[in-house]
Parts: sequence; structure tokens; C-alpha cells
Amino acid sequence: MSEYSLSSTQREERTVRRKSRLFEFNQSIPFGSVLRLGFTAWFIFFGIWELAVLLKLTNAVLLPGPFTVLTSFVELFTAKNYLYDVGMSLFRIVVSFTLACMLAIPLGILMGTFRRVEAFFNPLVSAFRYLPAPSFIPLLLMWLGAGEAQKLALLFLGVVWFLITLIMDYAKSLPADFVNSALTLGGNRRQVLWTVVVPAMLPDILTAMRQMLAVSWTYLVIAEIVAASSGIGAMMMRAKRFVHIDEIMAGIITIGLLGLVFDILLRRLRRMLFPYLDSE
Amino acid sequence: MSTRRSEAQRRSKLVLEHVSKEYQLKRNETLLAVSDVSLEVFDNEVCVLLGPSGCGKTTVLHMMAGLVDPTTGLLSFNDKEIVGPSRERGMVFQSYTSFPWLTVEENVEYGLRLNKVPEKERRERVDFFINKVKLARFRKAYPKHLSGGMKQRVAIARMLANSPEISLMDEPFGALDAETRWHMQELLLDIIDETQMTVVLVTHDISEALFLADRIVFLSRHPGRIREILSMEFKAGRRIPSKEELLETPGYLEIERKILHMMREEASDVEQ
Repeated sequence: MSEYSLSSTQREERTVRRKSRLFEFNQSIPFGSVLRLGFTAWFIFFGIWELAVLLKLTNAVLLPGPFTVLTSFVELFTAKNYLYDVGMSLFRIVVSFTLACMLAIPLGILMGTFRRVEAFFNPLVSAFRYLPAPSFIPLLLMWLGAGEAQKLALLFLGVVWFLITLIMDYAKSLPADFVNSALTLGGNRRQVLWTVVVPAMLPDILTAMRQMLAVSWTYLVIAEIVAASSGIGAMMMRAKRFVHIDEIMAGIITIGLLGLVFDILLRRLRRMLFPYLDSE
Repeated sequence: MSTRRSEAQRRSKLVLEHVSKEYQLKRNETLLAVSDVSLEVFDNEVCVLLGPSGCGKTTVLHMMAGLVDPTTGLLSFNDKEIVGPSRERGMVFQSYTSFPWLTVEENVEYGLRLNKVPEKERRERVDFFINKVKLARFRKAYPKHLSGGMKQRVAIARMLANSPEISLMDEPFGALDAETRWHMQELLLDIIDETQMTVVLVTHDISEALFLADRIVFLSRHPGRIREILSMEFKAGRRIPSKEELLETPGYLEIERKILHMMREEASDVEQ
């Protein structure tokens, strides 16, 4: 019997049977299920953790339960001026990242657009990209001391090379016929750069920034653990000295949450600024 | 339906003299993409460059636009050497080039802004050409909401609004489905007839070439060179506005058969 001669009841049975499958290749699932499954995973994670602590399967000092960690947040913010630490960390991220963008965005666009600029800068940029930023810490400490400048420099070095390369690659993948269209419409080089290359690049620049901002947080922790009296990393090192494991964990969670918030904000910003784009 | 002037009266607009283009692939390896092409494009004609893929027809068009320099030979436009792109030689590309960050009307206006056309005239020209390509309902829409055919209409309107003296079209309908392509060809022919524009159009679609062309320049490949120039004499100096009518015109089949035969020979070259 061919597929087309199935009776209507047989057809219904077929659809019902397909729907009842739990795992289907590339099948989309309702949004409710996505939420439910996501929360379930977290619930199980916290459940096992709390259970292990309650049943005293672990050393309570080295692994406090999730509720202890949550309450340590209250303590941190009310008694230990944690807001200042968070503020300092945010300040370092924002300032160093802004500086990195101010160099990387114009340079990346020019390198991706003009082959001569690329040929000049790229050997330098690619080489620096392979030098791990933390390896500069001893040097930066000698040159800049243990103050803000050293931390900002480390954060800057950690992201700037990759940011340049990312933006250059995005600029290169710009459709050549966009530029050709503008040229045949009578645009000169300056006009084409400002009315085609730059506007076409803006969404990609924001994507590159989102990708590298996550990396920036990694170097923040390194900078604040090495030599700092303020910041989330410094707080965690203080907590380590007094074996306040719950506060160390609170620090980790803070960084994770802040990273998430920045990511969401930049996604929102992209959708707001570029309504003409297809959804990502 | 306009009648064309006889060939003797026609002024040549764009001239190619012994034009060749060689690409450097590696250090000691070059590719001769176009070999010794000499060609005249006349005022107010539709000249179609037809040939199999790899015959260098797109390279020829890019040289006409001034986007690519010839290795040897001379290209001139209105008796002046072509040294780079210019607004007098407009171009429509095969890929969709309507800028996604601009609305339909902003796209059409784009070239006029580049060339500092006063606002009042800008608005008039935009209105005129948006209506011409039948996109009035979509003038505030972004390209992402448009179909492929509509995006190409934006590109055509953007070029025409800029009032070029010649329109270079590189397989403008190549990415469209058959039905849309057919509508677009008829629309384009309407506009050509109405505006008396000069067109060089590249295609590998034989029926498109026969429908639009006053003259077909057939190119062979490896290297790309002119094999034959065919005048569409069966059209008797007029443009035939519908495909059905074209099929019924005496002489159509012979010339189609001839071109198919050339295409087949070109194809068999590759198999050797």
C-alpha cells in the first residue's frame, strides 16, 4: 500500500506515534519544555549538592551547601562592602575593554579592507596573539607597579589582538559587490568606507565585542588574584586566607552572573540597534 | 515598441580594442581569462554577452565597469579611456547588493546622495524609479522582507535613479527561480524600451539572451574570446515584449538552434 492511500485514522495514528517519541533527530520542541528541562538540570545539580552536604558525605568546611553560599551573599554585601569590589571589577572591565575597542575597531576594519594595511600589521598582530597575556604579568608589575594601570594593561593585552583579528576577518567577509555597487554608483574611497564598509560592519563589530568580553572576564580574575586589594578576585583571595569557601563560591557565581548579564545586554542592544537584520 | 536606428547611423558608446586579461594564480602560474576581445557597443542597444561558464564574460563586464583593469588592450567610453569605476557606467550584480541597513527608498536614493543631488530632485527620481520597478508598496521595507526578485528590482532602480549612460548587468536574474526570472525579463525590456537605455547584459541563459538582445556576442572559453557576433535580424528592428510572441516570430528557431549548437560544441571542448 502506498503512503497516499492510508486512511485518515491511519494517518492520525502515524502522527500520534511520531509525537510520542522522546528523542527525534533535529525535531524542535515547545518553549515550555525548553524551560522545564533547563530548570530541571539546575534543580538536580543543587539537589545533589545540598543532599551531599546534609548527609555529611563531604567536609562541610571545604564544601558548604548551596544555601550557605546564598546567605554569604547577604553577609558580603551588608558587612563586607562587596559592592565596592564588584564596582571595581566592573570599572576595570569597562575601561580596559573600551580602550581595546578604540584601537581594535578602526585597525581591524582597515586591515580587513585594505591589503596593504593587513600586510603591514598582521605579522605583528598574529605574533602577539600567540603570546599568553598572563606571561606579561611580571613585566607589567615591574613597569607599572601593582596599581590600576597594570591591571588595565593586562586586560587590554588579553583581548586586543583577538579583537583586531576577529574584526579583520569580519571585514574581509563583507560581500565585495557591496563595495563594487557603491563604486559604480560614483562613490569615492572615503564615501565607500563610511557609507558601506562601516555600516555593514557594525553588527559584526558588536558580535566580536560580545565574544571577546567573555574572555576579558577571564583575565580580570587573573589580574585580581595576582596583585589587588579590591575587586571580586581580591575578595576571593581574602576569603581563601580565612577559609571562607562560601564566599569564594559567591565570587565565582557573581562573575558568572555578570558575564551572563553583559551577554544578554549586548544581544538586546544588537536587536535594538539593527532591526533590519535577520534574527540571529 | 520602439524601432532601432539602422546600424550605420549608430554611434558607438563603449569600445574594446584587443582587450586581454591575465590573472596571476601562483608565482609561475597565470590564467588567461580573456583573450584579444575587440567589441563596439552602440548607443541605445542591448548587447548581450552569452557563453558557457568560464568564458570570461563577467571579467569583460567588470573591465567595462572599471572594477578590473585589462592586462593589455584599451577600453574607452565616449572616446575616453576607462580608468576606474564611474557613475556614468552603472552596474547590477548577480548577488543581492541592496544594502540591508537601508530601506527600499533609501537604497534607491543612495547613489543620488553620494553624488550630492539636491533633495527635491532626489525625491522625484526615487519616486519615479520605485514606481517603475513596481515597489511603491514596499518603499519603507528593509531588504530582508523582500523576495529575491524584489531585491534585484531595488538594485535596478538604484542604478537607474543614478542616471548612468550605460547599464552593465552581470547575470542579474541568475539567482531567481524560472517564473520570477521571466517576469523580470519582461519588466526589464519594458524599462529599456521606455528609457532608451544602453545595456550590456551577461548571461548563460540562451532564451534570456534571445529575448532581451539586439545583438548577442557569443564567447568561447579557455581562453575567453569572441566566437561570433549575432544580430537579431529576425526581430526586424523592434523589441518583442512577450516571450510567446518571440517564439512565434519567424527566424527565432533557427537562431536558437545555432546558439544551442555552439553551446554544445563548447561543452564538448571540456570533455576532451
